[in-house]
Amino acid sequence: MNTAFPTPTSTPTRGSGLGLLAQHGEPAASVDIDGLTLGYRGRPVLQGLDWRLQPGQVVGLLGRNGAGKTTLLEALLGLRDPQAGRVQLFGQPAARLDDAARARIGYVPQASGLFEELRAGELLAYFRSFYPRWNEAKVQALLQRWAVPLDVEIGRLSGGQQQRLAIIRALAHEPDLLVLDEPVASLDPLARRDFLRELVEQVLDRGTTVVFSTHILSDLERVAFNVAFLQGGRIALQAPLDELLAEALVASGPEPLLQGLPAAAVLARSSGRRLLRGVAESQLPAGVVAQRASLEDLFEALT
Amino acid sequence: MDTPIQFQIHTGSAEPIYRQLMDQLRRRVAAGQWTAGQELPSVRELALELAVHPMTISKAYSLLEAEGLLERRRGLPMVIAAGHARPAATRERIEHLRPTLARAAAEAHELGIPPERALELFERLLRSPEPGAPR
Repeated sequence: MNTAFPTPTSTPTRGSGLGLLAQHGEPAASVDIDGLTLGYRGRPVLQGLDWRLQPGQVVGLLGRNGAGKTTLLEALLGLRDPQAGRVQLFGQPAARLDDAARARIGYVPQASGLFEELRAGELLAYFRSFYPRWNEAKVQALLQRWAVPLDVEIGRLSGGQQQRLAIIRALAHEPDLLVLDEPVASLDPLARRDFLRELVEQVLDRGTTVVFSTHILSDLERVAFNVAFLQGGRIALQAPLDELLAEALVASGPEPLLQGLPAAAVLARSSGRRLLRGVAESQLPAGVVAQRASLEDLFEALT
Repeated sequence: MDTPIQFQIHTGSAEPIYRQLMDQLRRRVAAGQWTAGQELPSVRELALELAVHPMTISKAYSLLEAEGLLERRRGLPMVIAAGHARPAATRERIEHLRPTLARAAAEAHELGIPPERALELFERLLRSPEPGAPR
């Protein structure tokens, strides 16, 4: 697997400075994807996917195993070439980012397997040389708080320690866009909570755009203001999570009654059940029972 | 002595986090436990403490301000609004229980549990030393 990092440069870039402004004075979307199509050996994974992330958004990416979340995140970073479609980061083509734009991205891959023979200290020193900006105080504080040993070869660290190190490396250069692929899979609950706090602090202090995939719905519910559901090679729905929870209903009842529901309100259907949005419980016909949807219900229906 | 302002959230429910925060504050104020003038944690403090997106906190605070439960002061922490110095009357406070009990009543119907038996259980829960812990 590849990692996105820039080549050395002497021009420092500023966090949320003028670089964000496109010609019209509007900030360029952090991520702008149009019609992205990508597959492996004839098996389609992403099929004409459109997706936009605005600066400062924290978006949780949800999808079943094999839905293509990692493929999508890698294509988003320009690490995979689309068969069709367009991927832009900060207004630039993802495959041909300049160094300044690359330095604004932080990426925690699912499992890197790279640099296993290096020690954590050496790895960080190596990456430090690539970035115009590097928050050494933050790196030291996190290394200590998360108990990552500096003098042990990375290949001999535990899965959790490797994951923490990957997170520290991704935060060190204070990116404007953080892409996290299952960042907490090997972390214990306390480490996860501490990591979420760190994310919240990034958002508070720097307005960082964050996109992360995870199967741990409780984490997502806390920090993701928006959720995006990947299904059938497309983003089936993206919306603020609190609005979805407040508005979505799981309705069940006899099929003929369910078929009479307004089509525009149906987000997903399965036999005898519908996920609805934009209908009040009181408007449902007698014989249809509805309950407010939890994030787990939404995951089940929309992925 | 005021009860310290602390919030708890539960993930996995159909109740969005901002609503959980609002409901907790409404109940504490109605009970007279959090009273006029008491300072709330800043959005930043609460977001970091709960590990929750800051917009979720500010959304809850703004809606509570619109309801007249919170007061914003320039450059200072928000406070419980004036006029909430003492507990609300019991007939007002009990209204806060209505949504939860209405849900419980609907579920009792679905389960075919006779009213007496449901009431019996509720009474036992109310009188148990740790409310909410069935015994």
